[in-house]
Amino acid sequence: MARATASNQTRLRAAPRRLNLRGLSPYAFLVPAIVYIAFTMLYPVYENIRMSLHSVTIRTFLSDNQPWVGLDNFRTIFNDEEFWHATRLSLTFTVGSIFFQFTIGFALALLFSQSFPGNYLMRAMMLLGWLIPTVLSGTIFRWVLDGDYGVLNYALTSLGLINDDRYWLIDSSTALWGTILANVWVGIPFNMLLLLAGLQGISVTLYEASATDGASAWQRFLTITMPLMRPVALSVLLLGLIYTFKVFDLIYIMTAGGPVNATTVLPIYAYDLTFVSFKFGTGAASAVIMLVALLVVATGYVWYTQREEEAS
Amino acid sequence: MSTSGSNRKPWLLTAIAAVIVIVYLFPVYWMVVTSLKTPPDIFASPPNLFPDPVTFQAYRTAVIDNVVVQRAFVSSIVIASGTMLLTLVLATPAAYALARFRLRGSGLTMLLLVLGQLLPAIVIAGPLFVLFRRLDLTNSYQALILADTSATLPFAVIVLRPFFLTIPTDLEHAAMLDGAGRLRAFWQIVLPLVQPGLVTVAAFSFLIAWGEFIFALSLNLNEKIQPLTVALNKFSGQYGTRWNEMMAVATTVAIPIVVVFVLLQRFIVNGVTVGATKE
Repeated sequence: MARATASNQTRLRAAPRRLNLRGLSPYAFLVPAIVYIAFTMLYPVYENIRMSLHSVTIRTFLSDNQPWVGLDNFRTIFNDEEFWHATRLSLTFTVGSIFFQFTIGFALALLFSQSFPGNYLMRAMMLLGWLIPTVLSGTIFRWVLDGDYGVLNYALTSLGLINDDRYWLIDSSTALWGTILANVWVGIPFNMLLLLAGLQGISVTLYEASATDGASAWQRFLTITMPLMRPVALSVLLLGLIYTFKVFDLIYIMTAGGPVNATTVLPIYAYDLTFVSFKFGTGAASAVIMLVALLVVATGYVWYTQREEEAS
Repeated sequence: MSTSGSNRKPWLLTAIAAVIVIVYLFPVYWMVVTSLKTPPDIFASPPNLFPDPVTFQAYRTAVIDNVVVQRAFVSSIVIASGTMLLTLVLATPAAYALARFRLRGSGLTMLLLVLGQLLPAIVIAGPLFVLFRRLDLTNSYQALILADTSATLPFAVIVLRPFFLTIPTDLEHAAMLDGAGRLRAFWQIVLPLVQPGLVTVAAFSFLIAWGEFIFALSLNLNEKIQPLTVALNKFSGQYGTRWNEMMAVATTVAIPIVVVFVLLQRFIVNGVTVGATKE
């Protein structure tokens, strides 16, 4: 509205040609970003879908001769035992990581929502674990989890929890849990900070009123904190779910999917198809399956939150 | 700051938090300490919490005298700075337009940006590889900067838009009534006011691109262009058990991040929360 008045006033002074330019300019601000989004986000999604329906191999990926194969690529994947193995690993990795990083993050958020000297500084220091590249966290944890000289083995042996040195990342029964440990470490500050923001949004007067009514700290947590934190907790869990499902570099650095596929989660499975076997068509099909899974989760979340809003 | 009423023992909480922070940051400490150890000291049992003696030999061998690492360091700086600039150039006007004007398609653009944040990098990497091969762009800085910006742009717009929303429109109108064009009003009046937002976005784009790995791994085969993240990964294969040298390279990768973080932590702590919660 105000803008319309302003341009009416300028019309009295400015030449018509210049006025046209002004009318154009709002879009000019947006167009570069839109072109870029089309190029690096929309096109890849479209191209994944297209390639997933064609036979695209090392010989044909640069040519225009890519025969239509319908759902053959998907059939190949669904018949591949490795795919189901990767799906199970992705589920364990995602659920395991989120369970620990969320509970630990929540506990730390409760701690840091109290006021005490040094709170802000220590909270900021925690963030460092999240800010350093996952390639670094992965490298550090490979060293910490090393079988011969790793400091974790030393700590666990001294505490009497294990008797012999364990080769965490070389043993296929523990490798996935090694990567989960590293991923939980990476995710804790993120969960903590977002949940902390949610906790700080809860009005202090609620707690004070409840305390005057004689409620204990535990009762206040159950009756005030838990219900009011539900929306924030849900979004943090959803974001965590999506981010964890996508994790590639951390696992690639730590184990490269090994030993013998013990940590080949879906993103690594898809990477191997496209960039190691150069089966672009099947690789694209596996990418499409991942996209559909993410879309289902996101849609479910939107549907759930809308139902919640209507109910309240 | 307190949300659950009174607390009588703030120093006890400080002590608990300090223990947690120390335990949590131990892996980072272990990286630095290992990089300062001699080879026999790395394999000492029980492990030494402090290097004995302190030596910079690992840095000399693996960083200062290592051409591959030096080249990778330069590449990382080029890629991270390029991504930072491209992100600012694309995101700033877009965030401004999305905050200021009711344009057809602005809702859709916001939705695409939010969804774009959720795309797995591997989904983008495959098609970009094919596209860059056709355009003869693979193995170039441009390819990596273009690809990395797909990871930074959504975040940048989402963080910047609220900054523009807080600026009163009257300021621009006044400038435009004085004869300034829309572009000049934007450049001279609005931009200086959103400086904190620009710093946040610049810092984050730099940090994200500095640590980026998948695109650098899949879209580039040229060793002269590979960034530190890829170089570090190659080392883990080649260096075997020379953990002090590997941790020296790792610490070198971490140093710029710690510097940016210490200088700009106020912006960064806010940015994490805004970027992940606002839509």
